[in-house]
Amino acid sequence: MSIIKLLTSSVGRKILMAITGLLLAFFMAFHLFGNLFLFVGEDAFNAYVEKLHQLGFLIRIAEFFLVLFVGSHAYSGTLLWIKNRKAKKVVSSYSKVNTSSAARSAAFTGSIVFIFLATHWSTFWYKFNFDLQGMSYYYVVTESSVGFGSPAVSIFYIIAIALLGYHLKHGITSAGQTLGIVGTKYEKIYNNFSAIFWFWIPLGFISIPVWFGFLVRVI
Amino acid sequence: MNVNLKIWRQRSGSTKGVLKSYRLENIDPNISFLEMMDILNIKLVKEKKDPVTFDHDCREGICGSCGFMINGRPHGPQKATTVCQLHMRAFNNEDDILLEPFRAESFPVIKDLSVDRKAFDRIISSGGYISTNTGEAPEANSISINKEYADEAFLSSACIGCGACVAACKNSSAMLFTSAKVSHLSLLPQGQKEGKDRVAKMVATMDDEGFGSCTNTGACSAECPKEIGQVNIARLNQEYISSSLSSLLKKKE
Repeated sequence: MSIIKLLTSSVGRKILMAITGLLLAFFMAFHLFGNLFLFVGEDAFNAYVEKLHQLGFLIRIAEFFLVLFVGSHAYSGTLLWIKNRKAKKVVSSYSKVNTSSAARSAAFTGSIVFIFLATHWSTFWYKFNFDLQGMSYYYVVTESSVGFGSPAVSIFYIIAIALLGYHLKHGITSAGQTLGIVGTKYEKIYNNFSAIFWFWIPLGFISIPVWFGFLVRVI
Repeated sequence: MNVNLKIWRQRSGSTKGVLKSYRLENIDPNISFLEMMDILNIKLVKEKKDPVTFDHDCREGICGSCGFMINGRPHGPQKATTVCQLHMRAFNNEDDILLEPFRAESFPVIKDLSVDRKAFDRIISSGGYISTNTGEAPEANSISINKEYADEAFLSSACIGCGACVAACKNSSAMLFTSAKVSHLSLLPQGQKEGKDRVAKMVATMDDEGFGSCTNTGACSAECPKEIGQVNIARLNQEYISSSLSSLLKKKE
């Protein structure tokens, strides 16, 4: 079996999706760690972002891999989705017994998350890197119109992250199945850890717009 | 009991199908679903109408011939039951019952409720075999098998290849079927000769036949008349990963 054949078979594509998906989930944990500096204070957050920028090309390499993972995950998912739609044309005729809606809607939630990522890069990432206009990083996130100063941005952010959590609820268990963890002695520990990624980490992300976008203005 | 049937009628694979209504009265609730279909067909023949085509053979739930969608579920509402083992007592008097063929592009309709499942045979012939000498059956105890593996292999081998998993799946994926066959043979010592090539060949054939991919929704196992578990799919994936790795590391010939 050649590497091309391996990566383009239906199972191979799913293995690629499982690995890139899990790596991206791990990245989310790292990303959240940085975001939580917002709660520590303005100086702490600004200093943290500055530290990251000082890493220079290392950050660019990391960004390259992130885009590669997101791209290959979305590309494989789209190709599989097309194949799946071709395989069943009478879409109304399938059983919904014992299947979770998270599993059935994974392609939809994934698409919304992709749109969210595109806006996320074109706003936060672009501002932080090229268009700061004398604002502090903290100000961009908490007060500016591309950040949580805009209620529309906050609401879209909350919805998108909630859908991302829902995407991961299926994605993490699905990756466990695809990588063959189910049925082994590692299944239990894997399932126990999965809630961190689909529930607690997204909840952490959501807490930021909820606090800086709404609560802090009311209290 | 009386039932109102709505049945998918399609003359051949190349013509369009329609749902037609039929009413049957005074049906004994203790007859099987297929016996009810026989009564309908006798009635249709007497009326000089075209009887409804459906697949069936053993009517004991072990051959895998029968199967169609009843009210949107493969093999009907009863868990772990093939259509032939389903009885009319599973329904209520005056129920509306919708019958459709298994829907999948890889299972083209032959006529009415009968679909062509040769794609499954082609998956089997690509790797679902073992290499052994023919002739007299060997002494059963000459190969010892771990009880745990024997039990697991037995559960996987219970697959009758009816195609309900493909019909249940929103992607028409054949992963449950293929994984049951891969698991069954890869768990037993007799299946080791083909080694890791089996899974690669069977997955390639499955893809070529146009089946969708598995998105791990679990509908297949829930509807399987033989309760083939999701663990088989995980096992196929394990086999596939180790097959890929070993072939990548293999020296060039």
